[in-house]
Amino acid sequence: MNPSPESGTVFIVDDDVSFLRSVSRFLRAAGYSVQTFDSAKIILEQLDPGMSGCVLADLQMPGMNGLELQEALAKSANPLPVVFLSAQGDIPTTVRAMQRGAEDFLTKLTPKEKLLDAVRRALARGARERKAREHLRELRGRFDLLTPRELEVLEQVVRGRLNKQIADDLEINERTVKLHRTNLTRKLQVQSVAELTRLVGEAGLFKHGEPE
Amino acid sequence: MLFSESKDVTGNIMQEQAVRAAMQKGSTNRIEFSSEYLDASHFLGREKFQLFQDYLGKKYAGQNLDLILAFPSLDYKLAGELPDALFPVVPVVFVAVNEQEVPLAISKLGVTGIVQRYDIRGTLGLIMHLQPDTRRVVVIGGTSESDRATLGRIAEASQSLEGVGFDFWTNRPVAELREAARLLPEGTVILLSTVQRDATGQPFFTSQLVQTLAPSASVPVYVLGGWAFGSGAVGGSVVDPEDLGTRAGQLALRVLNGADPESLPIEVATKGTPTVDWRALQRWHIKGSRVPSDAVIRYRPETLWDEHRNLILVFLAVFLAQAVTITGLLTQRRQRRRAEAEILNQRMELAHVTRVSTMGQLTSALAHELNQPLGAILRNAEAAEIYLQKEKPDLEEIRAIVADIRKDDQRAGSVIDRMRSLLQRRNLELKSLDLGELLAETVALVRSDASARQVFLTLQMPVKLPAVRGDRVHLQQVLLNLILNGMDAMADVAKFQRLLNVSAKTAENGSVEVSVSDCGTGIAPDKIEHLFEPFFTTKPKGLGMGLAISHTIIEAHGGKIRGGNNVPRGAVFIFTLPAADN
Repeated sequence: MNPSPESGTVFIVDDDVSFLRSVSRFLRAAGYSVQTFDSAKIILEQLDPGMSGCVLADLQMPGMNGLELQEALAKSANPLPVVFLSAQGDIPTTVRAMQRGAEDFLTKLTPKEKLLDAVRRALARGARERKAREHLRELRGRFDLLTPRELEVLEQVVRGRLNKQIADDLEINERTVKLHRTNLTRKLQVQSVAELTRLVGEAGLFKHGEPE
Repeated sequence: MLFSESKDVTGNIMQEQAVRAAMQKGSTNRIEFSSEYLDASHFLGREKFQLFQDYLGKKYAGQNLDLILAFPSLDYKLAGELPDALFPVVPVVFVAVNEQEVPLAISKLGVTGIVQRYDIRGTLGLIMHLQPDTRRVVVIGGTSESDRATLGRIAEASQSLEGVGFDFWTNRPVAELREAARLLPEGTVILLSTVQRDATGQPFFTSQLVQTLAPSASVPVYVLGGWAFGSGAVGGSVVDPEDLGTRAGQLALRVLNGADPESLPIEVATKGTPTVDWRALQRWHIKGSRVPSDAVIRYRPETLWDEHRNLILVFLAVFLAQAVTITGLLTQRRQRRRAEAEILNQRMELAHVTRVSTMGQLTSALAHELNQPLGAILRNAEAAEIYLQKEKPDLEEIRAIVADIRKDDQRAGSVIDRMRSLLQRRNLELKSLDLGELLAETVALVRSDASARQVFLTLQMPVKLPAVRGDRVHLQQVLLNLILNGMDAMADVAKFQRLLNVSAKTAENGSVEVSVSDCGTGIAPDKIEHLFEPFFTTKPKGLGMGLAISHTIIEAHGGKIRGGNNVPRGAVFIFTLPAADN
């Protein structure tokens, strides 16, 4: 009941305006910051990519329904966690929603404790994911500083190749390889090859098209 | 056959004919008859009788007679003395209408016969029956021995009739009687006794006297003998000469066939047949309803029935045949109506079952409908609790919450009302109703179902539609059926194509036309004509009753329903309902 102020906003989406008002009233009374939208389309249009928080969405809505909203959000710049709050849910829909990463699937008559708990978890997850995203973005920012040649060298290095082998492969001399390595460790702010490998892993580089 | 009177006497003629007829009828042999008339009224005295007897003796000498039938009137010589003298071995049967005692001599001769006495009491009874207001009876009688005997019996019978005075006119000549009879006052009747001789000693026949008296009399005349009937008299419980003749003929036959006359006692009977003359009834304005049921009415003009009996029978037969046919047709129609009503009844039952099953289909949608307001109420209540825990509760906010709770509660209630009306079991009740309102309500009912199926549901109608006469629940069922069918038909089409449009408009003839069109797979052309047949379905789990029931309901409203394909795709169902007349 005492969420930390930085835990973000609860974005509520429901075509039933009366319900929308009641939930927003309740969550506000419970101390949350709340924004309401009466259709999936509008939240997608108006959601600030910088906003942190979670989405509390109805499942059945005219036009775009809750599942579709979930899908669209996941692909968006601000993939907020989603809690479904449906008037009535059937098992297949629930399973689908959960498989796609919904934080929870609740009915509108759910007890307030469960609702608050789900909101709390979703907000926490939102914060966590936001942090991870920011970290990744920062990492990728560092990699962005590398020249194409440095990236080529980096790829060879993390695969455990020696400078001489790298030089042969790239048809450059060994000294140039050493220069590239010095530059890229500086740009990536690492000291060791081990650290370099961890960083590449974290940033998810070279996963595709990797030769065996 | 020996007659004491002339052959012109009506009674004689009638009796003779009846006797002959009865005898001929009862015998296979040919019977030859010979008749002789003494005419005693005109030829009085012993001498004349002797001449007649001698004449007969000579005439029938050597003739083989089997039976002598005598019709004596003044005395019984014709039945006793004469045949005894002339034909001692020939059996004798006689018939007499006579009030005198039968002479002992006759019985001793072994002669049998019938003596009929006048039915005087019967005649007086008939008079009182026909004319209950009668206060006075004028009895006209003759002076012969037989006449006096009859008068004596009338006097005797008059004692039994209280409140009615009897005058006996026996000393007036016939010429005077006629004048006197003209002047009799109302409430009087004339009873004509026998008049063989009048006061002047003139011989008379009663039948002649009636002809003289009755037409000019101021009051009705009643008679005792059938022969006096038919010439102006109202009637009487008369001696029927035909009946008498027939009985005599039968008696004569028995004797002819070998019965010993001595073993057959002389029958003395007082017997009368109530008989009235229709013409006289008319003359005296005596109602036909006063005539006793056992009385014979004579001289009634032939009725249509008598005259055209066959024609009437044919007409009656035709009429009856027609009536039977019409009754048959009416019965058939009634049975058909009843059967139709029964079918409608069963359809209504089925309609109810289908509505319940429609409810089943809509259950999840309706649960959704219901959970929306209930959920809102719950969250609002929880919010209010939190506000109330604060030191300074925001009353303005709490008031808004309570207002919202009330609104959502009403919303939930209306959902339940809609469900309840669908589940009601009921017959068709036609009332004036706003179809627009019903359309809006029905669309609201299925909106959440449509939303769950991702169907875009639209309703188009003018601001004002004419009122129709209809049953709300049943028409809603038709609409639900068509809408749900439309949504079912679009289950497999792309999401953006799932459009269902309900529209209403006023048709040219003033009726209201409602159409439900979808963008589904449409109807195969060869199936269109079977759409409304029971058990026609294209759905794997369909019962095939929905459209059949809709058809029944719309027809019961006096409307029409048809279905077909839409352009560019999908199906459309259109029904019309006649506008309610003011």
